[in-house]
Amino acid sequence: MRQMKLKNSAALVTGASRGIGRAIALALAAQGAAVAVNYRSRAQDAHVVVKEIEAAGGRAVAVGADVSDPVAAAELVSRATDLLGGLNILVNNAGISDDALIHDAAPDAWWDVMKVNFGGAYHCTHAVLASFMAQGDASIVNISSAMGERGWIGQANYAASKGALNAFTRSAAVEVARFGVRVNAVLAGFTPTDLVSEVLRRDGGKGIKRQIPLRRFATVEQVAAAAVFLAGPDSGYTTGELLCVDGGFSAQLGIGRP
Amino acid sequence: MSASVTLQPNALVAVQTAVADALGIDAEEAVAEATLFGDLGAESIDLLDVLFRLERITGVKIAVADIAGLLQGGIPDEEFGDENEVVNDTGLTHLEKVLPQFDRSQLTEPLTADGVLGLFTVGNLTSLLTERTSAAAA
Ligand SMILES: NC(=O)c1ccc[n+]([C@@H]2O[C@H](COP(=O)([O-])OP(=O)(O)OC[C@H]3O[C@@H](n4cnc5c(N)ncnc54)[C@H](OP(=O)(O)O)[C@@H]3O)[C@@H](O)[C@H]2O)c1
Repeated sequence: MRQMKLKNSAALVTGASRGIGRAIALALAAQGAAVAVNYRSRAQDAHVVVKEIEAAGGRAVAVGADVSDPVAAAELVSRATDLLGGLNILVNNAGISDDALIHDAAPDAWWDVMKVNFGGAYHCTHAVLASFMAQGDASIVNISSAMGERGWIGQANYAASKGALNAFTRSAAVEVARFGVRVNAVLAGFTPTDLVSEVLRRDGGKGIKRQIPLRRFATVEQVAAAAVFLAGPDSGYTTGELLCVDGGFSAQLGIGRP
Repeated sequence: MSASVTLQPNALVAVQTAVADALGIDAEEAVAEATLFGDLGAESIDLLDVLFRLERITGVKIAVADIAGLLQGGIPDEEFGDENEVVNDTGLTHLEKVLPQFDRSQLTEPLTADGVLGLFTVGNLTSLLTERTSAAAA
């Protein structure tokens, strides 16, 4: 039998009731980590994830909190730590989008997206830091996007929030490296979940797929695998890294073909 | 040195180890008399690193705020220094009480509030650690 890589670890995954976060929670648990499954409003979905982990012989708890609120985020971290008996992995995954052309959007249409996608990661990172730094061995993984590094029509607010998250990842990484805390990001490409259902609906995503070198979308499991790698000991010498899981999307120049 | 205090050897070794590892210097350089910010060139992130390392070695938690609290002794800013943030008689008297090596007659220029942390030595941290350790044990 293969050795589980996260046997004595405890992880908090924000926004783990659905989509990519759910897949990350399951994948961390499969490596032996105890997992706190955070959700904002869908408690039922989060409990299903907990049950799935328990059915596979793992340990998990569901904890509701809106990570865009710094007080709620701090309570989330302290509850997760109490319930799991410690915490050494944080996955900042909770995210939303609110797509529109800048011209058409309300002047403050950036704020809610920023508050969840960047604010949530900042708040949770802030909340875990004292204990992670004291432990001297811990990992933070931010689930970000290729959009943070390149432009996309209709997602200016989302792209800006992910660009902020990417810049935060690098700066936080260099700041806390000496305390044994690593900070990395996964830059996911298109991954069919509720978040992008609107974008992919038009032609089933065919038009986008044609522009991706690997000619297919990511699965939530493929994104989760990268997150598990960055969370665990195999990436022990990696910090400040923005790891693309995007089918070659951001490696390509323009449309990539004549 | 105006006054010498006996430092608890285990605590001194713990502090010297933490300081040396955090600053990338030899433990022998981290002598009790050395000021962390002046002589050893520490910056605020280095002090954080020292304190977390100390916590890992000894299990005793000391926060930067604890050091600031020791140095100012709960005296409000406006009573500790004048309007230019130069430490006044009340402040200096307090510092002489909590930092055995401190002697105001040795000051070559007025001591500002910002400069107070610069007085803090490896020995002072050792005393604070010892105090905390016995408080935790009691
Ligand atoms: N899907 C993609 O193509 C793609 C690509 C790149 C990056 N990403 C990133 O991957 C992450 C996950 O996206 P997804 O596609 O899995 O989205 P999703 O299916 O819409 O799931 C979003 C998750 O985040 C939670 N959430 C939303 N706002 C929250 C808040 N304020 N506090 C706490 N939890 C909150 C939701 O909880 P409830 O269930 O309670 O609502 C849900 O669990 C996001 O950061 C997203 O930006 C996705």
